[in-house]
Amino acid sequence: MANVVMGYKQSTFPAKLAVISGIGLLIFIIFPFVMGEFQVSLMSKLLLFGALAISLDLVWGFTGILSFAHGIFFTLGGYASAYYLKLNLSAEGNTYGGELPDFMVWNGLETMPWFIAPLKYFPVAFIAMIAVPALFAYVVGYFIFRSKVSGVYITIITLALSSALTTFFISQQAYTGGTNGITDVSKLSFFGTAIPPIGLYFLILAYTAFVLALGWWLTQSNFGLILRSINENENRIAFLGYDVAQFKIFIWALSAGLAGVAGGLFVPLNRFISPVYLAVAFGTQVVIWVAIGGRGTLIGPLLAALILGQVQNYAEKVTQDWQLMIGVLLLIVVLFVPNGLMSLLPKQFNLSNLSKPKPIMPANTVQDSP
Amino acid sequence: MLDLALPSMLSPLYLLAQEEATGGFQLSTILNQALNGLGIVGILLLTGLGLSITFGVMRIINLAHGEFIMLGAYITFLMQDVFKMDLLLTIPFAFLGTAIIGAVVELTIIRRLYGRPLETLLATWGLSIVLQGVIKLIFTAQLKYVKSPAYLSGNVTFMSDPSGSPLVAISYYRLFIIGVALALLGVTMYLFYGTSWGRQIRAVTQNRSMAQCLGVNTKLVDMGTFAYGCGLAGVAGAVISALKTVAPPMGQDYLVDAWMVVVTGGVDKLIGILAGSFLIGESNAILAFILNDPTARVLVLGAVIILIRYRPEGLFTVQKRT
Repeated sequence: MANVVMGYKQSTFPAKLAVISGIGLLIFIIFPFVMGEFQVSLMSKLLLFGALAISLDLVWGFTGILSFAHGIFFTLGGYASAYYLKLNLSAEGNTYGGELPDFMVWNGLETMPWFIAPLKYFPVAFIAMIAVPALFAYVVGYFIFRSKVSGVYITIITLALSSALTTFFISQQAYTGGTNGITDVSKLSFFGTAIPPIGLYFLILAYTAFVLALGWWLTQSNFGLILRSINENENRIAFLGYDVAQFKIFIWALSAGLAGVAGGLFVPLNRFISPVYLAVAFGTQVVIWVAIGGRGTLIGPLLAALILGQVQNYAEKVTQDWQLMIGVLLLIVVLFVPNGLMSLLPKQFNLSNLSKPKPIMPANTVQDSP
Repeated sequence: MLDLALPSMLSPLYLLAQEEATGGFQLSTILNQALNGLGIVGILLLTGLGLSITFGVMRIINLAHGEFIMLGAYITFLMQDVFKMDLLLTIPFAFLGTAIIGAVVELTIIRRLYGRPLETLLATWGLSIVLQGVIKLIFTAQLKYVKSPAYLSGNVTFMSDPSGSPLVAISYYRLFIIGVALALLGVTMYLFYGTSWGRQIRAVTQNRSMAQCLGVNTKLVDMGTFAYGCGLAGVAGAVISALKTVAPPMGQDYLVDAWMVVVTGGVDKLIGILAGSFLIGESNAILAFILNDPTARVLVLGAVIILIRYRPEGLFTVQKRT
């Protein structure tokens, strides 16, 4: 036990957490050198899903807004990056000879729509990948959080949003590629050289680590405390003078931006994006990762996405009924382990405990009872 | 890798209602469209009714509602396949079967989660996955077909052009759906407002703990109500099964629409559900006529979102609970 002199703040550096996350990161850095190509690409995908799950955890686990709409933000970012990759493919020389992507030609579009054309340039596409989902979330959030609409109805709104946008994207075939989405995109390249799968893996790993770290930092801060209190008792926080709606809108838009980048990285990996990821089914998939992993734990949703994805990969070789197992698991978790599988871990390994600095005040100073 | 089958997003009830509009911008076409809209209204009413009861009374966000519709459809298929029953005769079985499953679900799952609406939502989503999986295990993912009775085929023609082909027409089956939906609404209203069971349900809706104090067995009321709501979904499934193929994911197509109807109409008064389905069904049909199908759907969903924003308690709720 370090000596604590009253009045001096003890170091808040969470050493245990740093060690554990360092080991975790190391495992993921060694991973691609040990495993085959298939595992690398699978793991890249799962890491992105994990980042998406973390972004949902920020709004659901910490702030208490259950959203089925995170698939939307993911897909919006995905489309931004898909347009960029597709347009650059066209420029390199596509089989149709023209500047227009194939799906636009098939649907009889003559010229490049003005709102898609700028996405050809990397900076524009990069900004759009973050800004489009975040702005969309901001508008939606501004609309719904500045009202008396409460928990359950917000969830229904996100359901309707997801359904409406899916229909919209499918119907605008000339601009979005319809049900097929945008396929056959070019590889992501860095100054003219295509990034190999392992490079993409490290890019994605870095991003997921960043999202996790950002999430941790945010939720440990005072800001995170306010978010938690909103979840616990919204009215009380409002009475204390905080503008609850503003906090909700901010975290909602931030989380959408994070999800958007995950979607944007997903496209060079997956080589296509389609309205499948807009649909309610994918949105609920994200919710399931968070629910099973554990709300408000950040690492739980990430682990759930990774582990469930890996297990699914093996299980699907044996059985067709993976979804059924997921359903049963979800039911068991909701009924018997309401805080998710992370809550089954021994207390001292909990992320929130690990990152908590030791108490600043020695216990014996709190003695005001006679 | 993710096993995500994209359900037909242009929800089937809209697709099948869009019979090719004939002629230009004529009165008959508009009338025809309005009649088509009535067909949609029937389906929406059928699918939304059970949901409005479980949501209105028990505040349960039942995301497995679509799966109970699917179960009803499968019961009808089974009855028809094994006993060669007429579709009309299978309806009571569909009701009873899904009601029993609903009661079991209430006893084992829902009961543990009262007062935690978001958990119920998750649990019912898990349940919907499980039900789909189980049905897929039993019946395989193959599409099944249910025959509609011969006496319900054909159209009622209100207007026809000189050559005799119908301009304004609605099929008997669609009328039958509307009839069943209205009849169920009537029965439910009688149960709610005319019987002591209904009085108990309304008491529980208004003040659960007070009702409990006055000796109402709220647990029994909850179970009965949930079972009844599921039974109604089963009837909806039985009736709809003949319109479309029967497959494990079919319920998903109805879920979002049923919810839209419920939140539009509000759950305070049962008549709200009729108004809600009428508004959504008809505006969808008319907008689809003026613009096109997907745009109509997007616009209607957008309108519902705006509506929830300003009146989360629904359009037809008189008294606001605080």
